[in-house]
Amino acid sequence: MTVFYAFCAAAIMACAVHMVLSRNLMRSLLGLALLSTGVNLALFTAGGFSSDQPPIIAAGAKALGVSADPLAQALILTAIVIGFALTVVLAAIVMRAWRATRSVDARDIDALDQPEPAAAEAEPPHG
Amino acid sequence: MLIILLVSLIGSCLFPIASRWLGRGAGFLMALLPFGLLAAFVASAPVVERGWVQGEGIVWAPSLGFDITVRLDGFSFLFCLLITGIGGLVTIYAGGYLTNKSKADRARFFTLILLFMTAMLGTVLADNLLLMILFWEATSILSFMLIGFDHKSFRARRAANLALQVTAAGGLALVLAVLMIGHVIGTYSMAEATTRGAEIVAHPLGTPILLLIMLAAFTKSAQFPFHFWLPNAMQAPTPASAYLHSATMVKLGIYLLARFEPVIAQTEWGRPLLVGVACVTMVVAAVQALRAESFKAALAYSTIASLGILVLLVGLDGPRASVAMIGFLFAHALYKAALFFCAGSVLHATGKGVLRSLGGLRKTLPLTAIACAGASLSMAGIPPFLGFVSKEFLFEAQLASSWELVPLAIAVLVNAVMVGVAGVVTLRPFFMKPAKPIEMLHGESFSLVTPPLVLAMMGLTISLDPEWITRVAIRPAVIAVYGQPVEVTLSAWHGLTPMLGLSAVVVTIGVLIIRYWKRIHLMLRSRERIERYSVESAWERALFRLVHGAARLTRVIEHGDMRGYTGMAVITFTAVAAFSMLASGAGLRVPAIEGPTRVAEILIGLVAVGGAIVAARSRNLLSALVGAGITGFAIAITFLFNGAPDLALTQFTVEALIVVLLTALLLALPLRSADTRSGREHSVDFLIAAAFGLVMFVALVDMAAGHASSDASDWFGRMSYVAGFGSNVVNVILVDFRAFDTMGETAVIAMAAVLAGSLLARRRGAARDEAKARTVHYSLSTASRLLFWLLMLSSVIILLRGHNEPGGGFVGGLAASLAFAVLSLAHGARSAERVLRFQPLSLVGFGLALCITSGIPGMLKPGGAPFLTHLWWEPGGILPKLGTTMLFDIGVYLVVLGAVLSFLFGLQKEAAR
Amino acid sequence: MADAVLLIIPVLAPLLAAAGAILLRRRPRASEALTLGAFVLTLLFSVALLIRASGGGPLAVTVFGGWPVGIGVSFTARMPGVALVVVTSLIALAVAIYSHAAIGGRRRFAGHDALILAMVGAVNGAFLTGDLFNLYVWFELALLSALGLISIDRRQMQIGAAMRYATFGIVGASAILAGIGILYGITGTLDLSVLAARLAPSAPSVATAAAAALLLGGFALKSGLVPVHVYLPSSYGPAPISVTAIFAGLLTKMGFYALLLVFAGLFAIGSGGMGAAQLKPLFGWIAGATMLLCSLAALAQNDMRRLLAYHVIAQVGYMMAALAVGTRAGVEAAVFYMIHSMIVQTNLFLGAGAIQRATGSWQLSTTGGVLRANPWFGVVFAVPILSLAGIPPLSGFWAKLLVFRAAIDAGDFVLLGAGVIAAILTIFSAALFWSAACWKELPNRPAKRLPPSMLVGMGVLSAATVAIGLAPGMVHAAAQLSAGALANMGLLG
Repeated sequence: MTVFYAFCAAAIMACAVHMVLSRNLMRSLLGLALLSTGVNLALFTAGGFSSDQPPIIAAGAKALGVSADPLAQALILTAIVIGFALTVVLAAIVMRAWRATRSVDARDIDALDQPEPAAAEAEPPHG
Repeated sequence: MLIILLVSLIGSCLFPIASRWLGRGAGFLMALLPFGLLAAFVASAPVVERGWVQGEGIVWAPSLGFDITVRLDGFSFLFCLLITGIGGLVTIYAGGYLTNKSKADRARFFTLILLFMTAMLGTVLADNLLLMILFWEATSILSFMLIGFDHKSFRARRAANLALQVTAAGGLALVLAVLMIGHVIGTYSMAEATTRGAEIVAHPLGTPILLLIMLAAFTKSAQFPFHFWLPNAMQAPTPASAYLHSATMVKLGIYLLARFEPVIAQTEWGRPLLVGVACVTMVVAAVQALRAESFKAALAYSTIASLGILVLLVGLDGPRASVAMIGFLFAHALYKAALFFCAGSVLHATGKGVLRSLGGLRKTLPLTAIACAGASLSMAGIPPFLGFVSKEFLFEAQLASSWELVPLAIAVLVNAVMVGVAGVVTLRPFFMKPAKPIEMLHGESFSLVTPPLVLAMMGLTISLDPEWITRVAIRPAVIAVYGQPVEVTLSAWHGLTPMLGLSAVVVTIGVLIIRYWKRIHLMLRSRERIERYSVESAWERALFRLVHGAARLTRVIEHGDMRGYTGMAVITFTAVAAFSMLASGAGLRVPAIEGPTRVAEILIGLVAVGGAIVAARSRNLLSALVGAGITGFAIAITFLFNGAPDLALTQFTVEALIVVLLTALLLALPLRSADTRSGREHSVDFLIAAAFGLVMFVALVDMAAGHASSDASDWFGRMSYVAGFGSNVVNVILVDFRAFDTMGETAVIAMAAVLAGSLLARRRGAARDEAKARTVHYSLSTASRLLFWLLMLSSVIILLRGHNEPGGGFVGGLAASLAFAVLSLAHGARSAERVLRFQPLSLVGFGLALCITSGIPGMLKPGGAPFLTHLWWEPGGILPKLGTTMLFDIGVYLVVLGAVLSFLFGLQKEAAR
Repeated sequence: MADAVLLIIPVLAPLLAAAGAILLRRRPRASEALTLGAFVLTLLFSVALLIRASGGGPLAVTVFGGWPVGIGVSFTARMPGVALVVVTSLIALAVAIYSHAAIGGRRRFAGHDALILAMVGAVNGAFLTGDLFNLYVWFELALLSALGLISIDRRQMQIGAAMRYATFGIVGASAILAGIGILYGITGTLDLSVLAARLAPSAPSVATAAAAALLLGGFALKSGLVPVHVYLPSSYGPAPISVTAIFAGLLTKMGFYALLLVFAGLFAIGSGGMGAAQLKPLFGWIAGATMLLCSLAALAQNDMRRLLAYHVIAQVGYMMAALAVGTRAGVEAAVFYMIHSMIVQTNLFLGAGAIQRATGSWQLSTTGGVLRANPWFGVVFAVPILSLAGIPPLSGFWAKLLVFRAAIDAGDFVLLGAGVIAAILTIFSAALFWSAACWKELPNRPAKRLPPSMLVGMGVLSAATVAIGLAPGMVHAAAQLSAGALANMGLLG
């Protein structure tokens, strides 16, 4: 089971990387969101699959019985939230890029603010 | 002596302030400092003359090996006399030279010169090598500042940069040498280093150490091939040139070599190397001296030649060599400084520096002419001047040591050239007729005339009555350098000796050079090759190519292609991970298959992977979004299957929200655009992705095999109800056990909200969005009200029940924002905002503050408790336990609500624009 | 003062003030006052913390929530974190004073103060934390705040730089998270001391090797090491210069601190730990490439900000070289260098901002004449330039000396050679910078006078540089304590 989930996580991350490498900003954004999901699944495998009981203390009991790893789940929850915030921020940036250049191709964006490569041709400062 | 240094340092900063208010006499006032120090040193003469060494020290940074230890022996005493004495004269001269500069500039010059004097004193007095480096580099920097003093001029800036490049590189070499010495003998004391020379030489680092020391000395003393910065340094105001670039700073290299001579002597290659470099330098300098057009340049090259002679003398063995070196060092300082002063006076008085255009100045600058003549006679080695005495010593040393013909011949020729230069420099400007009549800007002034006269006089009087100086300075210096007592007699006439013969030869050739100077000079000038193959142009070309190469390199690395950058990062991660796994030498472990395989889970897992593949492959952005969404939902179901209901809930809501938000974005973008990657690029990316996936897979499999159960999780499971008062362990971890992480994460969301505020529209699209909203169907707008309240209610319930069942602040906040999303989709962002009553950002701020402050009350418990210690009240009866964790959760709820809404409203308004 | 309070204020004060700044966003003056107040408070408390930490006695630890050590999230007053917190607070305060003139109401309204406060809080949190996942959270907060600050000027925003920064940030953060996850899966703990006890002495397994590599890659990206540095130089342009100065001073060093924590601490590379020994040769390559490439690239830059950005990265290369040497002395040198570099780099950027303020240009070829109008600027700016070039008696000299010495003592002459060449190139670059920006004068464009707040802000940092240079023993002692603390991280758990 664990091996299978490891495979799933790795496959998702690979697809995500493929998308991130696109020059289409929107696709890149989706890829980054997918990458976060993949990493979260990988984190989940770190928690182990020894049990599928949710880590909720049964009514009347004082301690948790055999259950899934609660700490891993807490970490993943935090990671999901942070990944969500980053995805939304990226979306806002892509929106700005669209507004400014009417294009979502990274090459058009980079052309906007590539540092004076022409200036670098000019005589470097000789004080 | 430390006091002297301190006084010098403070005085250098304070004295020049006074010069801002003084007029003509400023130079004399400034000179009080150097002359005062001179007097202080002379007071130590009795100690030095007996051959004793005076040392002082303060322990400063023992862990670094840095102590402020100073040591006054004969050699450093001589230097100190020169530094302070000539320094005083320079200051007086500068007072007269800088008359056409502003008071502020003059003060700046005085500060730099006096600080320089302090740095020089420090260098020659320091015993701790690190301390010496400190002052050595200080002289480099101050030289930089002085050469570039007239910084408006491009030539001055260029010269300053050139000088710094060479001398700082040498400084680095010295640092390395010193560090290596420290590594070998365990201490940074120069005295130790010289006494334990054999140890150093025997160590494998011995050769590099000595080579580096020689490198440092050669750069400072302008030996070939590092000589080219000195003539350029003539851009500095003449008083600075006189001080730094003839009398003192350039002698530092000689100082260093002389100090380390005992160590160099222990190698077989040390002396020949020094002699060789010195000879090459002398020849090059001599040729260039004849080529030099300006007064100062000719002097500069002759200084280089003189430094070459000094290096030669250090390289020769035997006591006479040490005597000659000290004698020449002293004499040279006197006459060179004087000549520079004269050059400066001529420059100042006529505005011209080129030798060929000067002439007949003896009528207008008589005293300067006398001084110049006196100094030149000393330089030419004519008896009874001091220069003659030192030349005699030079030849004596060469003949006495293991003499070879070539260095001797070179010495003779170079000295002849020096005679020639001396003659030209005196005769041309002062005693010959000028080509065209020269306009004088002014006559002689007291401060410009006195210093060269004094120095020229000294050159004569010391030679005639050398007793005091020999006893006090020369002999102790020789003894310090040679290491054993040596007989030293300075007298103007030694009788008929082979040296006298050599001197006669020198003078004869020199006279010939003077006679035919113009022809020689012009012939050399016409030889372009000398210019083209000079080290200086090679250096400049190399630097130019370096900078251009750097520019090209930058353009290659920063090509601007996003894919290239990200690809590079992923490849790096993959490669490093692969390397690490392979190099670790560990074998891959595979976990055992546990339990029956559950088909449903495998199917869901495959759906997740399938969604990812769809997302990666589809050309249409909307289907890519759908694919990513499917993956997210499938993973949520996986969470559910594997005992993580909180996670499933969160993942569902987050995925839903992302789909909603991104759809709003996609509505504005083109859904299908041209492929941004070529077929080949696609294959490359596929390979990269596959490699990355493979690496991650291997790592995860091995991790699963080596999985250790978590002690922390067990503890959480045991204590969640008892200490955290909650049954939902995950929630208790989030808001209590590891609440600090959640607080950080809440701050992250808060900052994202701030970002939204600055990135997205606030007012712009509102009106159009409002209009659009009114076109929404009637059914949606009525249903939306109901939906809104329902969702709000459920969000509150989720918030409140989180501690014991799946839920919590975050999911509650998401549900609430979903409620508002529905409302804003139906009625427009503006009216949704109105229902909210507060600005989303204000909610965020308040929520964050609440979240953080909920952790403070616990700290006020008697006895003090850490932050985020939660407090509980048991009101008893039917009411459940209430704790500050609820405040914390409410804070999280508000922040999430505010953040998502600020993005939602913003994106909606943007999409409507 | 209770340890618990001392340890939390450096993070609590900025974060709470950030919340306040969000609420006060319509009142720029109040917001600015709040920022200044928060930084002053942070500085005072961090100095108190430093005194407490160096006074000997048991290590100050606080576990949030009062839970047992090793279970809950802890903050420890461990060196070098505590020293770095003091430096951070100093830098934050100096920049806040400087930006009194530089940041106007429009930017403050856009959330500048909240973002800066959050970033400083995140950096302090990273320096003090004793929990690996907590470290990740602070990195994410710093990333997001940085993104916000890069995008703050909507009109002048450089979208490409923001996009690049965001993409790289997320990719790096994912790698870090994956590495942390794998480590958690193997060891079952997130507490740094416990992790160190388990990882350092044992030979690596495939998973720990992969985790170490991922952490190396991710944190190297955050520090700006070659070859994952490409997003940095362009990201130093769009934000206001005071913000860029804070980036330069804090963010890359935060990344490097994490590298130190993981490799010198968890894997104990500087003291014979075996956990990640296979990665050591890589460190040398990365360090050498970074030092040489970036000091070379700096020579060719005309834009002051990019030039200084490359220097920032080159300096991180030096720190990496010190770590790559692999001895205790190397770790000491790395810590000393960090402290020196944080102050100097920030100051240099502030200086560049001042030059632009006076002459209206960011290009070296079109600036000039600053000295004539502002002589005091020359004094204040000469300090960081000379320190960058490694001229004694300033902090840079001792920092380079320690790195070279560590390399010589360990016999690593290749790295030494790279460092020396880089040092020479840096001197060239610094001299050219000074001569182009301060000495050169433009005849038809006289420079303006600078507002005093700028000079005061820079002066604070210059004074610190001079102080470190004149009394290096103190900082060196702190560095030695740090190396010891990192090497013994596993023993304290």
